[in-house]
Amino acid sequence: MMAAQWHKVINDLLSNKTRTVLIILSIMVGLFAVGTIASARYILSVEMAKAFAQINPSSGVIRTVQPFDSDFIQSVRSMPGVEEVDARRMISARIKVNDGDWTNITIYAVDDYQNMRVNKIFPQEGAFPPPNKEILIERVALNVIHARIGDTITIKLPNEKLRTMRIAGTTHDMAQLPAQIDGTPYGYISTETLKWFGEEYGYNELQVVAVKKEDKKAVQELINEIKDKAERAGYVIPISMTAEPGQLPLDDVLQAILMLMGVLGMLALFLSAFLIINTISALLTQQKRQIGVMKAVGATTVQIMRLYLTLVLFYGLVALMLAIPLSITGARTLSALMASLFNFDLNQMYIPVSSYLIQIAVGLLVPLLASIYPFLANLRISAAEAMSSYGATVQPKRDIIEHLLSGSNLWFARYTVRRSLLLSIRNTFRSKGRLLLTLFTLTLAGAIFISVFTIRASLMRTVDDLMAMWGFDVMINLTRPYRTERVTQEAWRVPGVEEVDSWSMFPARRIRPDDSESVPIYLFAPHIGKGLAASPTIFQGRWLLPEDENAVVVSSTLIKEEPDIKIGDKIVLKVNGKKHHFQVVGISMGFSLPMAYTSNDYALRITNNVGYAETVLVKTSNRHPQYIDAVGKALEKHFEQVGISINAATTMQEERSEAEAMFGIITSLLLFMAVLLALVGGLGLMGTMSINVLERTREIGILRAIGAANIGVAWVFILEGISIGGLSWIFSALLAAPISKALSSATGTALIGQPLTFTYSMAGLWVWLLLIITLSALASYLPARGASRLTVREVLAYE
Amino acid sequence: MKTNHLQLQSPLIRLRQVVKKYNGIAGEVTALKGINLELHSGEFIVITGKSGAGKTTLINMITGLDRLTSGEIWVEDVPVHQLNPEQAARWRGRHIGVVFQSFELLPTLTLVQNVMLPMDFARQGTLKERRERAMFLLEQMGIAEHAHKPPSAISGGQQQRVAIARAMANDPPILAADEPTGSLDSVTADSVLQVFEHLAANGKTVIVVTHDEDTARIASRHIVLADGEMIREAEDGK
Repeated sequence: MMAAQWHKVINDLLSNKTRTVLIILSIMVGLFAVGTIASARYILSVEMAKAFAQINPSSGVIRTVQPFDSDFIQSVRSMPGVEEVDARRMISARIKVNDGDWTNITIYAVDDYQNMRVNKIFPQEGAFPPPNKEILIERVALNVIHARIGDTITIKLPNEKLRTMRIAGTTHDMAQLPAQIDGTPYGYISTETLKWFGEEYGYNELQVVAVKKEDKKAVQELINEIKDKAERAGYVIPISMTAEPGQLPLDDVLQAILMLMGVLGMLALFLSAFLIINTISALLTQQKRQIGVMKAVGATTVQIMRLYLTLVLFYGLVALMLAIPLSITGARTLSALMASLFNFDLNQMYIPVSSYLIQIAVGLLVPLLASIYPFLANLRISAAEAMSSYGATVQPKRDIIEHLLSGSNLWFARYTVRRSLLLSIRNTFRSKGRLLLTLFTLTLAGAIFISVFTIRASLMRTVDDLMAMWGFDVMINLTRPYRTERVTQEAWRVPGVEEVDSWSMFPARRIRPDDSESVPIYLFAPHIGKGLAASPTIFQGRWLLPEDENAVVVSSTLIKEEPDIKIGDKIVLKVNGKKHHFQVVGISMGFSLPMAYTSNDYALRITNNVGYAETVLVKTSNRHPQYIDAVGKALEKHFEQVGISINAATTMQEERSEAEAMFGIITSLLLFMAVLLALVGGLGLMGTMSINVLERTREIGILRAIGAANIGVAWVFILEGISIGGLSWIFSALLAAPISKALSSATGTALIGQPLTFTYSMAGLWVWLLLIITLSALASYLPARGASRLTVREVLAYE
Repeated sequence: MKTNHLQLQSPLIRLRQVVKKYNGIAGEVTALKGINLELHSGEFIVITGKSGAGKTTLINMITGLDRLTSGEIWVEDVPVHQLNPEQAARWRGRHIGVVFQSFELLPTLTLVQNVMLPMDFARQGTLKERRERAMFLLEQMGIAEHAHKPPSAISGGQQQRVAIARAMANDPPILAADEPTGSLDSVTADSVLQVFEHLAANGKTVIVVTHDEDTARIASRHIVLADGEMIREAEDGK
């Protein structure tokens, strides 16, 4: 047997199923969002790192011009501070699938695929290890080159030899940037195949794992020691790299994603808390009269609170039971989506206990805390006041809003034939506390939604800015420097070419004041004041001038690596093995890699390359992408015919696609978040507004009793819903500006070391308006329609 | 004489200079203007007056449903005017049963559960005893066969009987009813008033507020209010 008060709890839950479902749904969507984001954030940050650790990632990589042998590997392995060493041969070649076009490919030759020690490559499909005279392709790269296992490809080697081979299978190589992002496919061959290629036996890439792999400085010192050792042995080292401890290949992007997920997760938490507060507040307002009755028959505050807290806890508990499995699925789907974009497999998508705890805390504690204010508001008044239908005994205060909405001021309403409009406007502001709470919740949901769109728009605008420098359509990289006059003349011979320019790019390093070396820097040397390369977006200082000698503009991505560099500083760059002094005159927008710019004349002079160029830039007479593509291919063909060896020919459209692909991971996440938040905001809004309407079922009865038709009643509520939705949209639009500005700054700082180019998304603004108006109207109409179906007697008896 | 006999005892309820003011949109309204009144145990008091006379306010003051602006209300030795809402609820649960014009039964509880509710709050007896008492009271009111129905399934008169049964749940010495027949037809209203009469005859102090002067005929004492003041007092239905 159960006390009557507990029957009330159960019957309250069961008697108004619509209300119960709406409340549970409102709480559930909030919990779902919080759980999904918290778990996905954990999976991505921890599980991806675990998956990455399986390949035993290198702390640093050193490439040599001359091949080295296993004796050198052994000598490095015996050095103090070295935990493990492995080596492979890397070849940059060109590839053609069936009768397609030539594209770049990086091919690795490994001695023993089964016993790799560092940057391990795993089999995916087909043969493994690669059979003789056959090639394996990285699994993501297979789509990039539009090939399938079993297809035949032709490879053009640096030694000009052509080899036709079969794709025998695919591999999974987590140490490389995914091919869809950097545009370069990766292939894997055996050392026997290397001989068949006509290449000299030996390695040219040394992969080192440091004992102190977590200590960035110690890793850098170790790599420098190994480089010294290699140079003493006569090897020329064009490039060496060190990784941030435990850092994945796309760590900048991952960090930006984790940051965004963290911030959006907090906002979703905040949003769901307000949804819950709003929902519980609506419920208690609805039960005000019953609270009064219970007080009248002797119930104490504690007894009433216990009843309602039990009710609230039940809502939270059911919402939790639904939200937890849904959020596990959501988190795993989101993580799998992100992991596939990063080219990772997440075998064990462990949901952390903390995620459950957050959901339990939000699901149970927030509703309880949320009940405190409405409880105090309802319990403070006397039993007589609580039971008074029209609140005659409370002390109403006339405020500015009420004054403005009084009959004398709503002058426009006097001239409308729709008295319902007047009723809707006044109803909107009748319960200002509730209105504020609803508005706050909707405003927050809208602001986050618009912010997500704004970050996306800012990312795209940033890509535009990044591309602003490229005033050309096709870029042709040559295998070695050619006479500038010759290559430009040959380019002019190709139909469709409107302008020709050239520049050079040199691998460089900064020599810091303490003689330590920086990561590799790409030093571009465009023609200044003429030619096709315009100024990149400058954040600080200025772009190069024709009269500049040793001036250099550094990218924000270089500043991220070398944060001590300031405008006006004199820095030392090691170019082609020699140290040169440069003065920093500006900081430009950069992306992905550390870059610097200096004048073409000066760079060629200091590197003894005057009159030579390594890169040809072409502007076409028609900007249509297909036309540009055709001109690019024609240039490649013509250069081959005249004996100019090409390393790569790229159209700017391809470059843009690659930049967009890099941002694409973030924009995919943002779209997922936008949908999630629209769901939370939308369903929450529907729940809250529907409860608001249900609360006024008696009013619907009165309207119908005095002759209002169903459609007339519905309009009162639809207009009220739209008024609230519209008001919240205005506030959302305003609040979205600071939120999205802060988020795009943080995203930009994580990605490119500088805030993104902020672009407020008008699309996001209008999409949210459409959503909020539709949802407001629906959320008001559906319950009003339900109430209209009751008889007047039933409605007036409604509690 | 019954009334004279009652008046020899010390009063059960004493009101001294009771004033209640409200602040409304139109400014301050004085609903009760210094009421002095003594009510005795076993009396059946009917308070009448026109709309706005202060009848409901007076009964809300006596039952502790609302707080007075100034003055004193004593029920036996309890200074009701000094009770905070919490203490008032606890005290009311055991000492006063309240009946409202619109019954105010909780719609999500059955009739028997509605009657059990005050016993739950006052923690009276075991659950079995509460149920038995609730059924006993419903039987007394002649509606035991509907005990497991929701309030919406019975007529207004029956609902008011359930409300009286609920008011009697903790066997309080005082029963206060605000317009208990206001929502009922005359035949049903008479039957409800008979219940009150019967309760008064059994020693309960019954206070009924109504705008219907005819109700006074069954009362042992009739008080008339106008503009927040007591303008007439009569005994034995006069």
